[in-house]
Amino acid sequence: MKRRQFLKLSAASCAALAAMEFKTKGFLRPSSSYAGTKEQLPGSLGSKEITSVCEMCFWRCPIVVKVKNGKVVKIEGNPRSPSNGSRVCARGNSGIQLLYDPDRVKYPLKRVGARGEGKWTRISWNEALDEVAHNIKKVKAKYGSHALAFFDHGASAEYFREIFKALGTENYSNEPAFFQCVGPVAVAYLSTLGYIVSGTRQYVDMSNTKAILLVGSHLGENLHVSHVREFVEGLARGAKLIVVDPRFSTAAGKADLWLPIRPGTDTALLLAWINYVIQNNLYDKDFVKKNCRGFKELKEAVKEYDLKWASRICDLDQKDIKTAIEILAASRPQVVIYPGRHSAWYGKGDVQRHRCLAILAALFGAIGVRGGIYFPTPIPIGEAECLIGVEEAEESDTPLKEKFPFADPFPGSPTDEIIKATLTGKPYPIKLWGVCGVNLLQTIPNPYQTMEAIKKLDFIFSVEILPTETAIWSDIILPDATYLERYDHVYKNDELHPFITLRQPAIKPLGEARSPYWIAQQLAKRLGLSLFTCENEVAYLNSQLKEIGLSVEKLVQKGGLVTFPAKSYRDPKKGLQLPTDSGKVELYCENFADEDLDPVPKFEPTPAPPRGYARLIYGRVPVHTFSRTMNNLWLHNEWPENQVWINDEVAARLGIKNGDTVILVNQDGFKSNPIKAKVTPGIRPDVLYVAHGFGSRSPRLTKAYQKGVSDQFLITHYVEDPFMGASSHRTNFVKIIKDGKILDIPELRPLPPEIPRFEIRKG
Amino acid sequence: MNAKNGHQYAMVIDLDRCIGCHACALACRAEWQVPVPYRRNWLKRLGPEKTPYGISQTFYPGLCNHCDAPACITVCPVDPEEREFRCPDTGKTIKMAVRATYKEPFTGIVLIDKERCIGCGACVEACPYGARYLNEELDEPKADKCTFCFERIRYGEPPACVKTCVADARIFGDLTDKNSEVYKLVKKGAIRLRTKEVDLGPNVYYIGQKKDLHLLKETCAPRERTWENVKAPDRRRIIMAIAKQLRNLG
Repeated sequence: MKRRQFLKLSAASCAALAAMEFKTKGFLRPSSSYAGTKEQLPGSLGSKEITSVCEMCFWRCPIVVKVKNGKVVKIEGNPRSPSNGSRVCARGNSGIQLLYDPDRVKYPLKRVGARGEGKWTRISWNEALDEVAHNIKKVKAKYGSHALAFFDHGASAEYFREIFKALGTENYSNEPAFFQCVGPVAVAYLSTLGYIVSGTRQYVDMSNTKAILLVGSHLGENLHVSHVREFVEGLARGAKLIVVDPRFSTAAGKADLWLPIRPGTDTALLLAWINYVIQNNLYDKDFVKKNCRGFKELKEAVKEYDLKWASRICDLDQKDIKTAIEILAASRPQVVIYPGRHSAWYGKGDVQRHRCLAILAALFGAIGVRGGIYFPTPIPIGEAECLIGVEEAEESDTPLKEKFPFADPFPGSPTDEIIKATLTGKPYPIKLWGVCGVNLLQTIPNPYQTMEAIKKLDFIFSVEILPTETAIWSDIILPDATYLERYDHVYKNDELHPFITLRQPAIKPLGEARSPYWIAQQLAKRLGLSLFTCENEVAYLNSQLKEIGLSVEKLVQKGGLVTFPAKSYRDPKKGLQLPTDSGKVELYCENFADEDLDPVPKFEPTPAPPRGYARLIYGRVPVHTFSRTMNNLWLHNEWPENQVWINDEVAARLGIKNGDTVILVNQDGFKSNPIKAKVTPGIRPDVLYVAHGFGSRSPRLTKAYQKGVSDQFLITHYVEDPFMGASSHRTNFVKIIKDGKILDIPELRPLPPEIPRFEIRKG
Repeated sequence: MNAKNGHQYAMVIDLDRCIGCHACALACRAEWQVPVPYRRNWLKRLGPEKTPYGISQTFYPGLCNHCDAPACITVCPVDPEEREFRCPDTGKTIKMAVRATYKEPFTGIVLIDKERCIGCGACVEACPYGARYLNEELDEPKADKCTFCFERIRYGEPPACVKTCVADARIFGDLTDKNSEVYKLVKKGAIRLRTKEVDLGPNVYYIGQKKDLHLLKETCAPRERTWENVKAPDRRRIIMAIAKQLRNLG
């Protein structure tokens, strides 16, 4: 069993990447001088400026918060930041409307109505904390540690996760960041290159590349400032762009070649490309010889996959796929084979699809080079001792991730396994949930199952800013401070222009909202846990910064940000020393073979839509983060609801015109809210697309409530990934209802016989 | 371009760089606290649609064009009043009779004098780009629109939309300065949204792929505004405001 070794690898991956020299180059922010009373200047001019870090999404851009007369009036990027400079995105600009949202939870609340009804009464902090602590102790005493579960995402959740770990449960979810999103791609790259090329961040050097391949990644719609800047910069400098996507995305609009692939067949295309590259000697022979293991096995395993076959399976023009791979090959090694990010698509083949991408990058020698995949630069700051618990979780008897051989190196348990255990009581009962920073019902497939599970709980509490549909199921809500009202960790950026920065409050928390550190500290005290022993945030931040001769005060003096030299590329004279078993790129993955999983990727078709159905696909809009920002006054105004993209030929056959109102119904009979049709040639006829996160079911979100359609409430069927237990999101099929009639989607692109159809459950 | 007295500020928007993130629209809203649902600038999403040059999906990041011959100024019913303008760079002054909305002589920026605006909304109706709105949230409604961040540029700050632009797609500068990037890009063939019928000399330019510019021009060209276009309640408001002003004068 190689699991332990696998675990070691992930630790080694940090150490193996060269240690870096530390050098501060901080200088004082240039102070601007104005005549007259500064605060009287128009617009945001003359504001008091506080450097901080954004949390409108998880990318965490350095920002400057502008305050006038005690109110936040503007948020801009921190000009000292090498990643975004003075820029922030639409969401970053709209943080003010999260802070001042009248719907915010500003006081501790206790449920008075039925669970899920959303009726509460205001209680004191003491009462709220006592009640949470009492219930945790009670459930732990009665059912054991494993009966406690925690669903976590974002900065606040990091504190509470320590509490649950210290309580001895493995049932925290590291979600949605992992089991709904990056899990499969993380496993693929960890297994192939020994480090996570795509986790929270994607270590690809797009600004210096000559060609970029995107497979289902919607850069520009999925918007992270520094990343998109690198993408745009690369294109402006002449990089070619190949976009493989059933939908004509923003990126497709900028592409040299758009390949509207049949969903579920990406691996077929990638395998045919790998074979083509090998057969036509388009790979970097020297790199492969020196730095890769298993080339012979790879070559043998892919030899049957040719372009003609792929063209038929993928429903693409053979000429186009040949042109595409030749463009990519001609650019090597300065080619970005984009690793992807949200990869929990089909459940079964997800890890292998991303393995193919990693292998293709390796064949091009595009590892550790300018314009290819690069290495994160280690930043020598540990965690503050007083923040992180010393107690390790006890080894669980029946961990929920046991059946997933590659889940072990990652913290927590698969989200859907926690939900299923709660529902069934097997392998052990789960009776208490804590929720922080994640709207479960809008995130995890089959929200109907999640609601049933919540009904089985003895107690559920959440730490939240907004009364989301998940929060309204809670027995107690603890009001969290927004990122503009608190300190957090020291944030390390290990990309091409490394830096550290930190969040600090611009104003005091509104109402009785409190910083997560304070809340967690209070809770830990009541639970008798020796966590969060520093007096406050500044104390733990100082203990962390001390290691590099800094303090909160000094860092703020330096403009809130200190840069480091990067070590992103390999030394061309030396061979690669990757943190894998062999120190090389694992084209053939022995760890997979040990677990009876394919050591070299194979094409296994994912079931196609049943007759009369289209596959439901989803994506992002650049002004919203998950389902978190739909109630933000400004962002809501910018993009209040989603539309369903329908292929123009399909729409013509069904008599649907642009702007018509329709309803979607999925294979299990679940119906959506009414939604407007966007009729376009920019989508395949066998898919329907809606942007994610809309259609809120919480009446307390007065702006977002019932606006648009929730993709998640149509995702009722999911498949678990066999490697680490991610749950699939692209395994659902829909029909259109118009004027009360259910319309069959015509099949305009016939299905090859190798691809089976999804079979609808009877009854 | 209108360079009689000095400069003409202009903006070039590079649709090849623009990724349609809407940051421009939000930074403007934040900077000037523009109340929802009004806007001083906007981002419209176009396509995907077929064009003679292939499928296009692009964006219309729009704002006041600070036209050379602004229709909004012509229709302003407020009596012209003499005002002195001063160039902050040279100290030079100019006296000019202006209405409640006017083209600032040293920058070519079209501004609104909020003190004198009577809130009739005639300028809002006249703009073929829909770049103005009447802020009816105020006790006394006033017209409002993009100022190219006139106040900010005086303090050496770029316009809010330019400063926040994630993709560096907005290039702002003085079109009369031959060394400016806007001048060079305009020389190179940046296009403007204008038609044979409606050409007010807009000072916002666009560059990009042929297919994207085609879709932009097809869908977002300015439309001629006539009194017949104005809806009944808006007409009434304009007439009432003018009548009230006449009464006050009388």
